[in-house]
Amino acid sequence: MQTMVDSVFVGLSILTIGSAIITLESRELLYGGIALAISMLGIAGYFLILDAPFVAMFQITVYVGAVAVLIIFTVMLVRSPNTITQRETKKRKIAGIIISLGFLALFATLIGNSVTSQFSFANNSNVVDIKEIGKKLLTYYSPVLIALALTLAGSIIGALALARREDIEEKNEST
Amino acid sequence: MGSITPDFRFGNFAGSIVQLVLVVVALLTVLILPIIFFTLFFVPLPVVNGQVLTPYLFFSMMVDPSRTLPIIKFLIHTDYFRAAVFPGFGFSALIAAATIFIERKLLAKMQLRIGPLYAGKIEGIFQLVADGLKLIAKEIIVPSGADKPIFWLAPILFVSTSAAVVSLIPVASGWVVANVNVGLIAIFGILGFFPLITLLFSWASNSKYPFIGGLRALHQMIAFEIPFFLSALPAVILSGSLNLSDIARSQNIFWNIFVMPINAFVFYISSLAELERIPFDLPEAESEIVAGWLTETSGMIFGLIQLGSYLKLYALSALFVILFLGGWYGPQIFPHELIPGASASNISLLKIFGLVGLYNAVTVNSIFWFMVKTFVIILLMLITRGINPRIRIDILLHTGWYKLIVLTFINLFIVLTLIYGGILGPGGMISPK
Repeated sequence: MQTMVDSVFVGLSILTIGSAIITLESRELLYGGIALAISMLGIAGYFLILDAPFVAMFQITVYVGAVAVLIIFTVMLVRSPNTITQRETKKRKIAGIIISLGFLALFATLIGNSVTSQFSFANNSNVVDIKEIGKKLLTYYSPVLIALALTLAGSIIGALALARREDIEEKNEST
Repeated sequence: MGSITPDFRFGNFAGSIVQLVLVVVALLTVLILPIIFFTLFFVPLPVVNGQVLTPYLFFSMMVDPSRTLPIIKFLIHTDYFRAAVFPGFGFSALIAAATIFIERKLLAKMQLRIGPLYAGKIEGIFQLVADGLKLIAKEIIVPSGADKPIFWLAPILFVSTSAAVVSLIPVASGWVVANVNVGLIAIFGILGFFPLITLLFSWASNSKYPFIGGLRALHQMIAFEIPFFLSALPAVILSGSLNLSDIARSQNIFWNIFVMPINAFVFYISSLAELERIPFDLPEAESEIVAGWLTETSGMIFGLIQLGSYLKLYALSALFVILFLGGWYGPQIFPHELIPGASASNISLLKIFGLVGLYNAVTVNSIFWFMVKTFVIILLMLITRGINPRIRIDILLHTGWYKLIVLTFINLFIVLTLIYGGILGPGGMISPK
């Protein structure tokens, strides 16, 4: 089974990173949006490999079902063919690739020399139980949960207040 | 009429047949036999009744009637059979086809019409076969300026997403394609793909009516997704599990609909909106925007989307049965043995007709009751289509955002009260084992 998981991991990585690159490089914005959705699906696949199906399903529900849809919707509404007019020159592209590779090497050496490299992969470790997380959230971490809920509710109310346009509403009421 | 064409030569006819046979034999030796041997070399053969099932054994067992039953049993219990035939695609596609036919006939009777009549002589029962052949034979027209990759891909994605929902539905205890612990959330996650597919397809059609329909579909599905999720929540709280089989098993004493009727109602209304059926068929309103987001579809693209939407109809009705109507539980009406005394007798023919070892009274009973309940819900959805007009989009959005979301909370609090009172739920006074 180990080789099976490895091959799935490699496939998922190709899917996720490849579609992320397409997201950035795609000339058509809409295809970029679709590639972003596929990339997020790939991340859900990682969660499935890590024995966290609950998180994977929420990744799909929230990011593919809501965020990607909203992004694609926005792209469709503001779509004009000349959004991207400035093409990157070859020099800048190569410089960008070299800089990102340099950063990758830097982080790889950092992580390789740090404590995390001493952790070994335990195949028989306990799968995190969702019920335990729920209990912890409602008992020990309940102040954090309440603070988060208030923040989210505040941001939603703020978004509604920003989106509300009184001039249009008054016009609708008068007719 | 009926006569042979004048340039017919018997020699040519025989020659063409000989040529065909030669081509088949050549293909068999050059391509098919090597492929078979190659796969047999790598695929580990299954073990049936302690014997390795080689192809020779398979054919000899199929020929010998007394030895066919174990091999059929083995085939039925493989994963491929489950995914392709019984609780999976084949079965649900059959139900989808039956639903289309019943819908056409029933709506016709409700509106004092006759409905399909000629194909198949008796009440037009072959109308669907005829329609399917017509759709396959029709040309698929891609509109000019359409986004070709998305236009071709979206119908396939639509069907496969519906089939993915179907694969999570348990039909009886243990009879499910994918028995996952997060089944309910998986279904909601997969249902979240449909707005995306609809929007992309309507955009790819490059026409104004599909785009208006796609925008309407997006608004409608997002407005009704939240009450749809919330109305299923008390069932999860009651059973203490997200696994659909466990949710059904938790109702072997009483059905959830008696505890949470309001949620069942909200779930039903939201699933109608999710399915884009009348009274919520604004995305396909044929008297306003031609056929909505399906305007530019033709041929098998239309057929695939239609198949997908009816698979979805079956899946959501089955989900309603699992969440609220007690799943597959019902009175045992099937006998313990098909032929009494068949398993004890020595006559092999009697054993074959009695399906000894294959026939399980409890499973057959479960499937029967599950199908009866699902068909009742499907009929309810069809009748709703027959008696309702289409509602306005502002009323639809108002219903989704303001009324249904509030309604779901009433039963949530009732269920929570009952659980904290120690009456229902895991460890309560009335709780299943």
